[in-house]
Amino acid sequence: MIELKKFGWMIKKELISLKRHPVRLVSIIAFPIIMILLFGYGMGGDMTDLPIVVVSQSDGNLTDLTLDTIKSSETYHVVKVMDDQVKAEKMVDDGEVKAAIIMPKDYDDTNSSNQKAVTLYLDSSDQMASQILDSSTQAMFYRLSNMAATTSVTAVNENSTATPSLSHQLNNFKDSISLHINRIYGNIKYIDFLVPAILGMTIMMSCMMGMGATIAGERETGELARLFMTPTSVSTVIGGKIAAKLLIELVRALILILMAIILFHVSIKGGIFQTFIVLVFGALCFVGFGIMLSARTQTQEDYAQIVMPFSMPMMFISGVFYPIETMPWILQKLAYVFPLTYLNDAMRGVMLKGQTLGDVWFDLVILVGYTLLFFIIGVKRFNRDV
Amino acid sequence: MNAIETVNLTKVYKNFTAVNSLNLKIPDKTIFGMLGPNGAGKTTTIKMLTCLIQPTSGGATVGGYDIQKNPNEVRRLLGMVPQQVSLYKDLTVMENSQLCADYYGINPDERDSRIEDLMELVDIKYAKDKLISQLSGGQKQKASLVASLVHRPKILFLDEPTIGLDPTTKRILWDLIRELNDDGHTIILCSHDMHEVDMLCDNVGIINTGNLVAYDTPQGLKDSLLESNKKEISDTLSQISSESDVSKSTKEDVDNLSLRKMSFLLKSNNEDVINSLRLNPHVKSIEIAHNGRINIRIDYFDDDALNSILDTVIKSDGVIKSVSTEEPSLEDVFIKATSEVVEDDRA
Repeated sequence: MIELKKFGWMIKKELISLKRHPVRLVSIIAFPIIMILLFGYGMGGDMTDLPIVVVSQSDGNLTDLTLDTIKSSETYHVVKVMDDQVKAEKMVDDGEVKAAIIMPKDYDDTNSSNQKAVTLYLDSSDQMASQILDSSTQAMFYRLSNMAATTSVTAVNENSTATPSLSHQLNNFKDSISLHINRIYGNIKYIDFLVPAILGMTIMMSCMMGMGATIAGERETGELARLFMTPTSVSTVIGGKIAAKLLIELVRALILILMAIILFHVSIKGGIFQTFIVLVFGALCFVGFGIMLSARTQTQEDYAQIVMPFSMPMMFISGVFYPIETMPWILQKLAYVFPLTYLNDAMRGVMLKGQTLGDVWFDLVILVGYTLLFFIIGVKRFNRDV
Repeated sequence: MNAIETVNLTKVYKNFTAVNSLNLKIPDKTIFGMLGPNGAGKTTTIKMLTCLIQPTSGGATVGGYDIQKNPNEVRRLLGMVPQQVSLYKDLTVMENSQLCADYYGINPDERDSRIEDLMELVDIKYAKDKLISQLSGGQKQKASLVASLVHRPKILFLDEPTIGLDPTTKRILWDLIRELNDDGHTIILCSHDMHEVDMLCDNVGIINTGNLVAYDTPQGLKDSLLESNKKEISDTLSQISSESDVSKSTKEDVDNLSLRKMSFLLKSNNEDVINSLRLNPHVKSIEIAHNGRINIRIDYFDDDALNSILDTVIKSDGVIKSVSTEEPSLEDVFIKATSEVVEDDRA
C-alpha cells in the first residue's frame, strides 16, 4: 500500500509539473504534430501541381482529349497552352515551368502512318519533380495511345484502305501497355508506409529522451538522492517514474494517431485500439532502454551524449523511411537487432495490413523480451549513488 | 551511547582511496562538526553513512543499526539537508513535505499536522503553498529542513546549511540547529564556516585525504594547537641556542619567534598609560597603530603577562574599550591539521 502511494506520487508529481508548465504541456501536443507534419508533408506527401506548358500545334479530337487529360491531372498545373515550341522551351530553360509537353503538328492526323512523336522537354535539374513528371507523362500517353489505338483498329477493320503495317503497329502498341498491378493491401501511398513508423519513432524518441531528463536530471539536481535516502527500493522509484512517463507517452501516442487520421486520412485497418496497444509495448520497451542508459549517467548532458549513438542509427536503419530490404546487407542485419524495427513491423502490420495483435505476436514477443532485458540491466546497474 | 560509530570504514574507487580506515564515534544527541578540505572524503563518508553507497571494507552503525545489514532501518533514522536544495522545484513546500512524509510511510492522519508544526518551528508556514522555485535561498533551506525532519529523524546531516545565506537568516538557522539538538536530534554538520562550527559543535572531526586527522571539542583542538605551537617554538629555540655562533639579526628573529600579540583600544590614549606599559617587564615591545590601537608583544610562555598588563592599564586610569589576544582559531587548527598530512604525503 505504501509502495503504491510512492508509485502514485511520481505520477502525481509529473502531472503537477506539467500543469504548472504549460510550455511542456504544449510541447507534448505540439511535438507529435510537428513530427507528423514534417515527415508526412516533407517526405510522404504526393507531388502535385507541377507547373508545365503545353505546345499544341494541331486541332482535333485527340488533341482535345489530350489537353483535357493533362488539365484534369493533379500532377500538372498547366500554366499555358501555346503553339510556339521555341517559346515553350525557353520557359523551361528559364525555370518558369518544370516541363513542356510538345505535341507534333501531325498529332491529330489519323491518316498519317508516322508515329506521333510527343516530346517532354524536362527540367531535369529538379530530380524529384522530373521523376514524377517523367513517369506520370509516360503513363498518361500510354493510356491515350491505348485509346487512340482502339479507335484506329476499329477504323482499320471497317476501312480496308488502311495499310496493314499501321494496323499491326497499333495492335502492338495496344499490347505493350497492357499492365496489370495487383495491390494486395490496396493502393498504399508512401505516407501510408511512413505514418506507422513515424508513430513508432516519435514514441521511441520521446521515451528515450524523456527518461534521461527524468532520471539523469533528477540525479543531477539531487532530487533522486532524497528519494533514495528514504526506505524505498530502487524498483519502486523507477517503477513510479516509468508509470508517470508511460501515462504521458500514451497521451502523446493518442494525439499522434488522431493527427495521422485527421491530417493524412490514414486508414487504420487494424483499429485504433490495437494500434494503441502496440504503441504501449513500444513505449515500455524504450522507457526501459532509457532507464538502462541513464542508470549510471550523472548529468542530463551526459545522457544526451549517450543516447544519440543509439537513437540516431535506430531512426534511419529500422525501416522508418525506407524498406529494410533495400538497405545494404550489413545494415539489414543491424536493423534486426534494433527494437524499433519490430515496433515498426507490428505497427505496419496492424495499421496497413489490418493484422491483429495475434498476427504480430512475434514482434510483440521481441519487444517484451527487450523490455525485460532493459529493465533487468537498468535496475541492476542502477545505484543509489547520486 | 554513540549515534554513529565507524570501524575501519573504507571506500576505494578503482585506484583512489576516498575514505581510509575511518574510525569515528559521534555521541548521541550532540552536534558534530565534520571538517575537511574539498575532496577530503567527507561526502563519501556521508554517502556511506546514509546508505547511498556501500563501503569497500570496514563498517559502521547508525543508531545501532549496521549500514550494510539494515539499510532501511538506518534510512528511517536519518534526515539530510543537502547543500543544494533537492526538493522538486515545481511542487510547493507543502507538496514536497507530503511527498517525503509518504516516502517515509508516515501515518496519513498525522502527516499534515506534523508538517504544519515543523513549518511553524522553522517559520516557513507563510510560504507553504509557494513553489520551491519561487523561494529565496533561506526559505529553500527552511523548506528543505521541514522535508528532512518530517519523519522525526534521530540523526540529521546538514551539509553547508547556511552557505550563501545572509547573516540574519544564518543566525535564525543556527538557533534552529541548537533547538533541534535540544530536542534530542544528533546533528552532523559539514561546513567550511569555521565560526559556525566553533560556535555550534560539541565535537569536531577533521578529515583529510580520507583519514581522520583531528578529533576533539573545538576548544580542545585550539588548546592542543597552542600547546603544539609552544612546543615547536621551544624546540626551535633550544636548537638555535645549541648553535655556537648566533649573529645579531638571528638573535632578533629568535626573540620574535617566542612573542605573541595582544592589542587593546582605550577610550583615550594618555602618556601615563603608555609610559607605565613601557615599564612593565612583561611587555616586550609596544607600538601605537594609526587607529589608536595599542599593540603589545608578550612572551608566548608568559602566563602572567595578560593579567599584569591589564592591571597596569587600570592603575594608570586607562579605560579599556576593547581587548584582543592572538589565540589559535579553529581555522588555524584546520590549516595546520590538513597541511601536515599534505606535507606527509609529499614526503
